[in-house]
Amino acid sequence: MSGMWVANGLSQDLPLGVVMAGSWQGAELAIWRSATGRLSAWNDRCPHRGMRLSHGFVRGETLSCIYHGWTYGTDGACSKIPAHPAMVPPAAIKAEVYACVEADGVIWVAPAGTEVVLPDLSGLVAVRSVTVQADVAALTRGLPGFVQHGAVWRGQVEGAAVALVVQDRGASVTLHGLGAGDRVRLSRWLDGVRRLVEEGVLA
Amino acid sequence: MIAQAVLNEWYPVAMAAQVGAWPGRQTQLLGSDIAVFLDAGEIVVQRADGSALAVCLRYGHVWACLGTPAHDLFPIPEADQPGRRLVDCGVVRVKCSPLRAVENFLDIAHFPFVHTDVLGAEPHTEVGRYEVQIREDSDEVWATKVHFYQPQAAKSASGGIVTEYMYRVAAPTAAVLYKTCPNKPDAWDVIGIFVQPLTEELCEVWPWMALFDDATPQADLIQFQQMIFLQDRSILENQIPRLLPLDPGKEIPTQADMTSIAYRRWLKRKGLTYGAQMVAA
Ligand code: FES
Ligand SMILES: [Fe+2]
Repeated sequence: MSGMWVANGLSQDLPLGVVMAGSWQGAELAIWRSATGRLSAWNDRCPHRGMRLSHGFVRGETLSCIYHGWTYGTDGACSKIPAHPAMVPPAAIKAEVYACVEADGVIWVAPAGTEVVLPDLSGLVAVRSVTVQADVAALTRGLPGFVQHGAVWRGQVEGAAVALVVQDRGASVTLHGLGAGDRVRLSRWLDGVRRLVEEGVLA
Repeated sequence: MIAQAVLNEWYPVAMAAQVGAWPGRQTQLLGSDIAVFLDAGEIVVQRADGSALAVCLRYGHVWACLGTPAHDLFPIPEADQPGRRLVDCGVVRVKCSPLRAVENFLDIAHFPFVHTDVLGAEPHTEVGRYEVQIREDSDEVWATKVHFYQPQAAKSASGGIVTEYMYRVAAPTAAVLYKTCPNKPDAWDVIGIFVQPLTEELCEVWPWMALFDDATPQADLIQFQQMIFLQDRSILENQIPRLLPLDPGKEIPTQADMTSIAYRRWLKRKGLTYGAQMVAA
């Protein structure tokens, strides 16, 4: 089901060795890329004492929590508890893992085990993401002439194909923008979309 | 409804030296609006309806009780010991459960990661076995024989040393630690935190110190302690759930968390559930 997959950013905005905050419907996530490029998305809550894992740090193929340094491998299993260096952590200590893939420069997240069915964004180049302080319903105002297919809004800007992948965060919406035309122009156009939608909300 | 056991405890509500005439310090205690002010030379704490609360002045702070005090405020004998400097470090407002703030104060395993190169540093991350007890006579939680390697244990320390700690939960939202003193090997530095529960998810924290250190300027001591507490705040405002879980749920403690386990057990046994989550979630 492609509806289960939620866009969480552009590949270019998550470099090697970096962790960021993400979302899946109401759930808060930590999304990170290992030193060799492997992507993981987990519930943003350390099994030890609930610290947000998105505040943690990546070393090699592991993510460590910033509070007590508990270290987790890409499978979510805890591999190290620094307070007890000689102890092998029990297998039960595991981050809550989501499925995370990237395609056409977009990072997608779904509950573990979800079949990978993603919209086709081939031929478009990832430009940038903008967050709009409005709900999804307000988007129509900023995107006249665009057609919505699930999470993707498609249209034309100055004759070039554009796709905006919508990440619904409840009070705000992040638009992940891809296009076939000039990137600078598309980036400026995205700022205009944000202003239009936000002004519509204020009015 | 707030449990009677919670209402009958003492909580810090102001620094005594900073209390002025009406309107004084307008603040909250356990979700109730209160005012702390000077009236004819006396410090008064009153509710919005004008009724006065039980008050006591200790350790430079004003303590108040919304119910009927179940006992006197806990003693800190070192506060009156000659030669110690009492240092108050101002207040830090933290968007967290007051109980989470105290639990963090009792925790050593975070030193290398949160107070990096000051109170701890990798690879010296091991927390050895220590002793924890709930002392029935004083009704306090104590952790003793806690040892930890520290790169700069105090403002007056130069270079790394193994510091010994004792921790003491003296009231539901007040804890005191004793640590070996870099300047005086036979004495302990005493550091406290007094936490004012404004609501279940908002508190104000007063670090407090009684040190044998005449050399370090007051401003440096305060700055050192403020830096430590701001680092702690970045943790405390990002723990999920916000309330402290008292029942084993999704959180997994280890041997290094024995003080936290005892603190949670003590709170639960005494019905001190303000800021706590009873159902595992
Ligand atoms: S909360 Fe993550 S390591 Fe302790
Ligand atoms: Fe700390």
